Amino acid sequence: MIAIVEYGMGNVRSLRNAFEYIGEDVIVTADPGELEDADRIVLPGVGAFGDAMAAIAERGLEPVLQRQVLELKKPVLGVCLGMQLIARSSVEHGEHRGLGWIDAEILRLEVPRPLKVPHVGWNAISFDPADPLFDGIKAGEANFYFVHSFHMVCHHRADLIATANYGIDVTAVVRSGNITATQFHPEKSQDNGLTLLRNWVESTPC
Amino acid sequence: MLKKRIIPKFLIRNGKLVKGVRFHENFREAGNPVSTAKVYDAYGVDELLFVDIDATPQGRAATGSIIERVSEEVFMPFTVGGGIRSLEQIADLLNSGADKVCINTSAVENPAFIKEAASRFGDQCIVVGIDYQRQGDGTQRVVSRCGHQVSEHDPVEWALRMQDAHAGEIMLCSIDRDGTMEGYDVDMIARVADQLEVPLIASSGAGTLQHCKDALEAGASAITISSMFLFSDHSPIKVRTYLATNGVSVRSQKGSHS
Repeated sequence: MIAIVEYGMGNVRSLRNAFEYIGEDVIVTADPGELEDADRIVLPGVGAFGDAMAAIAERGLEPVLQRQVLELKKPVLGVCLGMQLIARSSVEHGEHRGLGWIDAEILRLEVPRPLKVPHVGWNAISFDPADPLFDGIKAGEANFYFVHSFHMVCHHRADLIATANYGIDVTAVVRSGNITATQFHPEKSQDNGLTLLRNWVESTPC
Repeated sequence: MLKKRIIPKFLIRNGKLVKGVRFHENFREAGNPVSTAKVYDAYGVDELLFVDIDATPQGRAATGSIIERVSEEVFMPFTVGGGIRSLEQIADLLNSGADKVCINTSAVENPAFIKEAASRFGDQCIVVGIDYQRQGDGTQRVVSRCGHQVSEHDPVEWALRMQDAHAGEIMLCSIDRDGTMEGYDVDMIARVADQLEVPLIASSGAGTLQHCKDALEAGASAITISSMFLFSDHSPIKVRTYLATNGVSVRSQKGSHS
């Protein structure tokens, strides 16, 4: 069973619908017991970084998430703001501490004119075609739906699994052991997104 | 490279799709929103836009139940507009599965609302819709309340002001061109896109493939298409193929369930 963390930030319905569509049992919960029972955890998120960390703190979710992800090494998928939250810090509207699961920081997206910010829309990502996370996804046509104004800068090259070009290389997918995260919305990326979610569900963390 | 977006715009009235001309004339029924959304998803359009056009006149927010049903069937981004005037309404629509909301009338009546909404839900979530129309004295003015209330705002200045209020995208809609299929207001699109740092969505006037190309080349990041899809034989596939062969960067893949 997959547990989507409910902390009041974002479009959890679409994620739940997408997992149900690919045939997975999925619950949306903030209950520590249910998070412990789940085989996999999804950390969603739309909105501001500081508000999201405050919402996680308010619900007392950080200790249970830390234990499931860092100690028990349960597979976790961060999506969009959920990806940014796993960094060490963010500068979105002030300095904020993140969950710190990936050695990375969140900075404002600064791109050359006439490119616009937010980075909204479908952008192609570059990845290693041998990576099972991208099984069935055609390189060169791997468009995914992005919508964000801040982006992740990884401190370890090895954590960076895919990038999108938007004047600069934008971090699109990161992975470290059992922790995977996407800046784009797989649940909104039509066939490519559903394929990636299926690959994640079938993957065994190394 | 980021692709230019093709966005079908669906007007909803009493739970059905409709399409009129210049906001008030000749409304025609155009089908069921959920099944139509599925068809366009299969065509691989880039986003969907739903506007509940009864919402502002009736003093309520766009209905969430249609959105919930769409989000069960369609795995692509969609934006919902119509009568939105509170943070709770935005939260409800996002919980129903919408990714972005489009705010028009309440931005004019209470500009502080845009800043409030952006700081709560993130800039990227807030699209400000700007309807405008040429007035008797030749000036273009922002018009709210579904084309009924003329304001003193110039559309270019208003777009910049909404950007300062943290709108994540601006959608420009020329009432004079709505439903006419005579082409987008390319001059206005170029003027606004040139000054904006956030993406511009061009709306209203599409009738030919060339119109679509003109609006995107004028600087729009996305175009909405309504009448042309509903009442002509130009499918999204045709639009995309035309744009791609004419040097506009668009997505080439198919959508969900394909």
